[in-house]
Amino acid sequence: MERRVVVTGCSAITPIGRTKEEIIRHLVDGTSGVKQLRDDGLLSDHIHSGVFGTVDYPIEYDFKRTYRKTMGPVAFYACQVAKEILEGAGLSDDFITSGRLGVSFGSTHGSPSVQRGIYRSFFSNSKSEFSSIGAVDYLKSMVHTTAVNITKMFGITGRVISSSTACTTSSQSIGLGYEMVKYGMQDAMLCGGADEYDTTTVAVFDNLLACSTAFNDAPHLTPRPFDVRRDGLVVGEGAGAVLLEEYEFAKRRGANILCEVTGFSCNNSGGDLIFPNVDAITRTIRLGLQDAKISADEVDLVSAHATATKMGDVVEAQAIYNVYGNSPLITGLKSYMGHTMGSCGAIELIIALYMMEEGFVAPTLNLDKIDERCAMIRHATGIAECDIRIAAIQNFAFGGVNTSIIIKKI
Amino acid sequence: MTRDEIKTELMRIFQDVFEFKNPDPDDNLRDVHGFDSVDAIELLREIEIMLGAKLSREEKEKAMDVRTINQIVDYVESLASTRR
Repeated sequence: MERRVVVTGCSAITPIGRTKEEIIRHLVDGTSGVKQLRDDGLLSDHIHSGVFGTVDYPIEYDFKRTYRKTMGPVAFYACQVAKEILEGAGLSDDFITSGRLGVSFGSTHGSPSVQRGIYRSFFSNSKSEFSSIGAVDYLKSMVHTTAVNITKMFGITGRVISSSTACTTSSQSIGLGYEMVKYGMQDAMLCGGADEYDTTTVAVFDNLLACSTAFNDAPHLTPRPFDVRRDGLVVGEGAGAVLLEEYEFAKRRGANILCEVTGFSCNNSGGDLIFPNVDAITRTIRLGLQDAKISADEVDLVSAHATATKMGDVVEAQAIYNVYGNSPLITGLKSYMGHTMGSCGAIELIIALYMMEEGFVAPTLNLDKIDERCAMIRHATGIAECDIRIAAIQNFAFGGVNTSIIIKKI
Repeated sequence: MTRDEIKTELMRIFQDVFEFKNPDPDDNLRDVHGFDSVDAIELLREIEIMLGAKLSREEKEKAMDVRTINQIVDYVESLASTRR
């Protein structure tokens, strides 16, 4: 049994705003959400990269203590986007608690800021500090903290999947949620990902020489996907979530259907855990199209992973060309906000949906001069009015995990 | 600490830290205020801070039967008496 799956709600916290209007305004104005790295008193002095995709506006959380007590910052992000979706979805309490709604939500590694506190206590010589590790610190910091804090807040009793595959965390969350609904295991899935402000992630990429360092005094000029002057990725923070429902169920209850998810693919490069592999990514893209039962020339927009690393963009451009030629418009949305890690797939899908709804494609920011090794594909270099019927969102992660999600206007 | 001091401090903890609205000393904390296993462990930590002393595993296990603030006052008073 294969069932149609639709998106009936979405919500995001991004370095370029919260609402659809704010995000679109940033895209249209070409305004970046990348800022200078904050001094965290631990690592920032040792990191070469001095930029971060920052959520620098206040968020008014209205969570009771009974929910707050097990949340680190990453779970606050996750529960906020989940709350906004469920409050607007119109699902009955009976359905939410029926076991037919599941949660597929993750983060790169739980809450690093809470973990930092735990390790500080571990390595302290003070006996009282060691014993002060709170009982709830694990609940706040564990890898599936986002997913289970969402289930607790809303009394959700269905399946729980908590992907934690770095940059494909939320694209995998959405893809696996889509399959849960498509194959009848659940009637609806709340899917997404979140990551909080964290300099340890910056330090990891910095040590791998993968972070941008040449624009520390002009953060808005980086990252620069596909551009000749790109010098690496910019780590960011944020959250994104979508509500997926079985099409007939959504239609019956009069839900506001935003688009259809028609395809998902996920594979592994089967080798190198860091460098992307052109053959594997080419296969990922083809498998996504195969799942959606469409041909490459039906895709109007590709939201590229486009982290702005020196080799990653070349490999991705080659894989896109291998499958699509130069037909669809290609945009790299990380150019506006940096790499929001575990949330990037969900955020990029939501922005692709916004562009689909509004009939335009935002260009890759800072793409002043296209690297000739990436020039064979059709880059969006200015705002393009465009009737997007089908869009593909592709993401790749450390560990060789690759995903592609296909969405369709409905 | 006197019994009154213990009771005053516990009422403060339940209102300020646990955000319980107008707790009555004889309320069943689980039924009336949704006190759960996470809260129980957090409360033991608060009691350790209040007494300025670590509780043994046996002492902590004794707390698992406690249901009301008045019972917690009894429990803390008993702990305090062994540490004078």
